[in-house]
Amino acid sequence: MATQKITIEPVTRIEGHAKITINLNEAGRVDHAYLHINEFRGFEKFCEGRMVFEMPYITPRICGICPVSHHLASAKAGDAVLGVTPPRPASLLRELLHMGQIVQSHGMHFFELGGPDLLLGFDADPAIRNVVGLIQANPELTLKAVTLRKWGQEIIHIVSGRRIHPTFAVPGGVNKALCKEDRDLILSGLDTNIQTIKTGIDIFRSWAVTNKADIDKFAVFPTGYMGLVTPDNGLELYNGNIRMVDSSGKQLECFPAKDYLTYISEHVENWSYLKFPYYKKMGYPAGVYRVGPLGRLNTAEKIDTPLADEEYKRYRSMYGGKPIENTLHYHYARLIETLFAAERVHMLLDDPDILSTDILNTHQNPQPEGVGVIEAPRGTLIHHYWANENGQITKLNLIVSTGHNNWAMCNAVDSVAKTYITGPEITEGQLNRVEAAVRAHDPCLSCSTHAIGQMPMVVDVMDAKGNLIKEIRRNA
Amino acid sequence: MRKKEKIIILGFGNPDRGDDGVAWHVLAGIAKRFGQPLAYEGIESGLVNLSKDIHLWFNLQLIPEVAEELAAYQQAIFIDAHTAEIKEEIKISPIEPEFQNSPFTHHLTAASCLSLSKTLYGKYPKSILVSIRGYDFSFSHDLSQKTKGLAEKAIEMIMKRLN
Repeated sequence: MATQKITIEPVTRIEGHAKITINLNEAGRVDHAYLHINEFRGFEKFCEGRMVFEMPYITPRICGICPVSHHLASAKAGDAVLGVTPPRPASLLRELLHMGQIVQSHGMHFFELGGPDLLLGFDADPAIRNVVGLIQANPELTLKAVTLRKWGQEIIHIVSGRRIHPTFAVPGGVNKALCKEDRDLILSGLDTNIQTIKTGIDIFRSWAVTNKADIDKFAVFPTGYMGLVTPDNGLELYNGNIRMVDSSGKQLECFPAKDYLTYISEHVENWSYLKFPYYKKMGYPAGVYRVGPLGRLNTAEKIDTPLADEEYKRYRSMYGGKPIENTLHYHYARLIETLFAAERVHMLLDDPDILSTDILNTHQNPQPEGVGVIEAPRGTLIHHYWANENGQITKLNLIVSTGHNNWAMCNAVDSVAKTYITGPEITEGQLNRVEAAVRAHDPCLSCSTHAIGQMPMVVDVMDAKGNLIKEIRRNA
Repeated sequence: MRKKEKIIILGFGNPDRGDDGVAWHVLAGIAKRFGQPLAYEGIESGLVNLSKDIHLWFNLQLIPEVAEELAAYQQAIFIDAHTAEIKEEIKISPIEPEFQNSPFTHHLTAASCLSLSKTLYGKYPKSILVSIRGYDFSFSHDLSQKTKGLAEKAIEMIMKRLN
């Protein structure tokens, strides 16, 4: 029987509206911990009636962090609804834009947000457990990390012509070709930034050796995994079929993205606004799965770029080739994907079609519905539109990356709380570990607003009768 | 003759979410006073030069790279929205470099950006944060009536400082 309830609201350093409640039993041990996501966007409702071609400009407003992912998923759904296949150069340019987003988002997460927990220690003084502490510990690395994120952002700017809210991808292709000078400008930053990513990987690997005991007890649990793959099951972030594997790595399904409703269903819990997707055939919760870097590297069997593949083999060999279940290895997987994205930038820019001006197909064959799927930095992002004969949206369904990971994040919070919280007096380091279980997934909730005073972090300690006995507040 | 100080005015927030985007409206108001109206459709991040010494910068949120920009200025004015958690309608506070662990993964505060600037580049501008009460954060390009009035006041206050 729970005698005390501790609420952490919101989780530090994640977008959006979430809180954690930890119920303690009479012995002061964790009975159960919950992650509640109070997310409501309403996008699915107010987009009804809009024109299909407007959607790539409307949906990026869902998120200030990964607008490019929504932009591209939306453009792909628009391709399907209008029945138009983009010319190959347009697909290459879209993927190049996407790689810029992966580099900037993953780079920022590891070096500036998730990294300090790892590199400075979960129990380090919060005053230094941040990127400034990291700068003091390794100023040269941090400058390179800022440059890495900037390079990713510059790719977005150069390719799309805008830093925020791109208007670049349109159903049928893109509206801006790449010139030789811009290609060379992007390429000029390649070697330096690949080196920075490799340095990050070396640092993580070394940290993982020292902290293996912690890694092996920090939210380690079996689930299924899901992600896009190439035709021969290589890592894929832009196109391809969706592959699902079970906790042993055995393939469950590999299907065209447009068929996702045949395989995925969503469960509702009364303590969270965010639904819990699962693999239909196994039911809930047996069919829950993880997406994002950890999920993708468990779903793929190889990576088609040399440096990332070499690191991937090392990564998968850590646990005898079985899927990696350790939540903290999201960070390792994220770095390997960053390396992949940088190498893909190189491959795409070397492609003879990348400078082509054949970037838009206007021959349409409208369909009543269409699905666009992309691997956003945080995981599989699904846009599904239904349209009438005028091209107006009549219904839409969005499954965002963080939604797929909802069960995993909740379970990680529960697991870490039970592992590390040993009594009613919770230390700052213990709380930080619980929060880090969520941060590892790099969640992106309803993240459109960030006003001052909006989200102080609150920890409420409640007794068995529901009386507030302690409140901890950490202001933003 | 004393060299004029370089000033950067940084606005951040989401103009698609009503009062959350008040900083954009304030920047647009200031730019208009300088005879350089900013078009809503052209909202873009990055610098706009109002004069040789006064520059605007806008983004949906603060980002690490802004630390590099900050290091090039002697004064900075940050503009943001605030909720009822702050009792003043318009609050002007001096900011010192201090890294603050934010509740958001990809979110930095003004003090954190100054801290990055100081630590990475060894210098930072003398800074204030002008925050304006938001009343309505729903999906809209328009400000609520109350915040619209506050934005006008904030523009006047900032213009006085610039003059």
